[in-house]
Amino acid sequence: MLPTRLLLYPLGVLLLLGGALPDALARIKLTTLPVRERVALQLDHAQVALVEEERLVPLVQGRNQVDFSWANTRIDPDSLVLRILDTPDGAEPRAQVLSVSYPPHENALVWTVAARTAGTARMRISYILGGLNKSFHYRALADHAERTLVLSQYLQISNSAQEAFASAAIQAEVGPRLERPLGLNETKELRLNQFAAVPVRKTYTSDPLRFGYLDRDQDKLNVPMHYVIRNAGAPLGREALPEGKARIFQDDGQGGSAFLGEDRGAFTAPDDELKLYLGLARDIVVRRSVERSERQRIAGNLYRYDVTLKYEIENFKDSPATLDLVESVRHIRDSLYGAVERDPEWQLGAGSLRDPDPQHSDADQLLFHITLPPRTAAGTAVKQIHTLRLSLNNEW
Amino acid sequence: MVSAVNTLIARRWMSRLLSLAGLLLSLSANAGNVDLATVPERRTVQLTIYNAEDLTLVRETRELNFKPGVNPLRFSWANTLIDPTSVELRFPDAAGGLELLDTTFPHDKPQSLYWNVRSDTERTARIEISYFTSGIRWEADYLAIADPDERQLRLDSFVRVRNDSGEDYEDAQVRLVVGTLNLVEKIAVLARLPVGRIDELKREEYQNLRQKAARPLMAAPAAPAAEAVGMAADAAVLEAPKAIAKAGLSEYFIYSIEGTETVPNGWAKRLRSFVAEAVPMTVEYRYRPREYGEALTRLYLLRNDRDSHLGGTPLPDGRVRVFRADAEGGLHYLATQNLAYVPIGDRIELNLGADPAVLFKEVKERVYRDQFWLQIKGGTLYRKLGEEGLKLDVDSQVAGWDEHTVYRQEIRNYSTQPIRVQIRRAYDGDVLFRSRLNPTLHDFQTVQVERVVAAGEKAALEYEVVARMGYSQKQSRVEVQAGDPGR
Repeated sequence: MLPTRLLLYPLGVLLLLGGALPDALARIKLTTLPVRERVALQLDHAQVALVEEERLVPLVQGRNQVDFSWANTRIDPDSLVLRILDTPDGAEPRAQVLSVSYPPHENALVWTVAARTAGTARMRISYILGGLNKSFHYRALADHAERTLVLSQYLQISNSAQEAFASAAIQAEVGPRLERPLGLNETKELRLNQFAAVPVRKTYTSDPLRFGYLDRDQDKLNVPMHYVIRNAGAPLGREALPEGKARIFQDDGQGGSAFLGEDRGAFTAPDDELKLYLGLARDIVVRRSVERSERQRIAGNLYRYDVTLKYEIENFKDSPATLDLVESVRHIRDSLYGAVERDPEWQLGAGSLRDPDPQHSDADQLLFHITLPPRTAAGTAVKQIHTLRLSLNNEW
Repeated sequence: MVSAVNTLIARRWMSRLLSLAGLLLSLSANAGNVDLATVPERRTVQLTIYNAEDLTLVRETRELNFKPGVNPLRFSWANTLIDPTSVELRFPDAAGGLELLDTTFPHDKPQSLYWNVRSDTERTARIEISYFTSGIRWEADYLAIADPDERQLRLDSFVRVRNDSGEDYEDAQVRLVVGTLNLVEKIAVLARLPVGRIDELKREEYQNLRQKAARPLMAAPAAPAAEAVGMAADAAVLEAPKAIAKAGLSEYFIYSIEGTETVPNGWAKRLRSFVAEAVPMTVEYRYRPREYGEALTRLYLLRNDRDSHLGGTPLPDGRVRVFRADAEGGLHYLATQNLAYVPIGDRIELNLGADPAVLFKEVKERVYRDQFWLQIKGGTLYRKLGEEGLKLDVDSQVAGWDEHTVYRQEIRNYSTQPIRVQIRRAYDGDVLFRSRLNPTLHDFQTVQVERVVAAGEKAALEYEVVARMGYSQKQSRVEVQAGDPGR
């Protein structure tokens, strides 16, 4: 029986217009072009895109040659999987793959498929396709009071795979599966989720190690502002928030919105916080100075260091605020006494800052929340003075 | 039997048509510029392909007529990758009646040789020619598809034969050798050299010895062929993929592909070696920085044994692609990895990389030091801090101490299944590992902790590492101790 040859072109006409096949003897021509019945784009892997297409392939009884060829696309030929569906559990298969042949110098392969009887077989062909790139991004619209925001999550797919998909079920690692067309060289943006009334905390942070000084001579620290969104509680918290650029807007109270800035949001697991940088606050002033630094000998070259840091904090805003004051003990020690490799051993002394946030503090980092009242009716800011006293034990 | 008669002009004898390992029965003196030759066709051809080195033994039989007396034969192989020193001629049926007198490699005709064969009578005889060629390779590859609930998977094993040898092999019986031939040692034996000095051999010498070393294995008898399956000409009979018979031979396995295969030059062909359905598997998460890097790595674990519907053969080295099926029958790509040879009965570990649904973070909670020893005046006298009589201001240096570090290992499982997590951490020096986590020692410096983390659970495992430093470090080992971390 002469084998029937079927050609499946992910690229359709492109191959037909291509040059002559190198070995006419071995590469018999097309007889049927089974069309795609369904396409799924699985984008749930971090690095690769898996295309899964289903085709109804007419088979004759006996051996059939099913040709799969492509041009100008980056199909990973080793990733190709052909599965013949329509076989109920336990039943004998109607058709099965006998072998796969790879012709030389061609982006093609030929499945030899045996069929029990003539008829149409539903085949699912999966392959990894290069050139389908995805990214996530976000749009955050805060309310006027900056208490809640609407967080919209988008999936952006850019198709430089040289392959068009009339309709494809698109599934990323988060969000629902969406059925959309994706044309050649198209970039498509799909809204995956819109989370309404997400509680947002606006934070002001001073962290000399990470954010440095605004004015070193005046001991003035940079005070960056962030929107902090906890990926927990309805409507968030069910899935991670993949990393992506976030554009941040605020309701201007007049029916419009003002653009506050944009930041790259890091991957945020459920229960973790997404921090979006908004810029530097100019109305909250933090001055940091070393009030005391003493060295006390324990024995030989073994010392204890006693350090007191002083913070003068003023809020020139009309609204109260919370300052997140962050210190690295290693950074304090290294800048005062020289850098050594060993971890600092420390104890908090009787300064005003004595209760670090246990969730965000560890062997090196300390985080204190300081509530700042608004400026007075007279327009003056209340200056708060805080001290952080540290004993650094067993140093040499 | 003579299948074709060709008149050849010597200058054209390398033409591609006839040069492909053609065997010419010369009907005239071989020294002349004009030749008349017959070209007996190949009757059978067998390829024994070895996947660790670029080495294939070709064994072909041809039938030809001999006249009484001396019969010159010419064997040529232009544009192929045959090793001329490996060509051998045998007469399997006519022992005694046919004798190979000599083999000549003509200086003016590269890639050919002459044999003079003496026959005692007029006869038709089968001859067997064997030789090594390069350019034919085979490799294994695998496809693993896990069930949606990740309790079982289906493992398809394939072999792929690729022919870049320059010669088309039609209807060849194909045998694949699985296993790493320790050719070097065999070469060393043949060369009477220590293994370490193999490099000193000349290239030709090495090739020659290599082939000698490989030949006994590759010439091994064929494995019993699987029962032939009828072609699909009968109504309602589904042709099965070719069976690949697997037979052990000494330290190796030989896969014999049922029937014959045609692999034209430049082509590759992939056949299914076996398929195992419903292979039981477990999922494990491992933190082993030395093996998998810093991420908590997700693995599928299975066994190449009969209980797992596997174990019929060792699994040759090859690439494995791992997918997970979803409830709708769709596939999700998980990973591709190179599987190293898996003996029968051994474990198969499929590394899927980090799982974004599981968070793994080690937090250093606090650090403190004690048990100080001071070296007095740079000499050999050491005093413990706190000992009576130690003068605090004397010229002395910290020489030894205990460094305590308390850690919290956070594991948050956002997947829908409970997960089994294994953590291995290696510590240098003299270390005490204190915790309530029932740790065990994987080796003298590596602590292993295992824990099941329920779906949705946020586990925090606390432990303390006490490192005895400097003068206090007495040996290099890790001791585990049950106790609460921290002071």
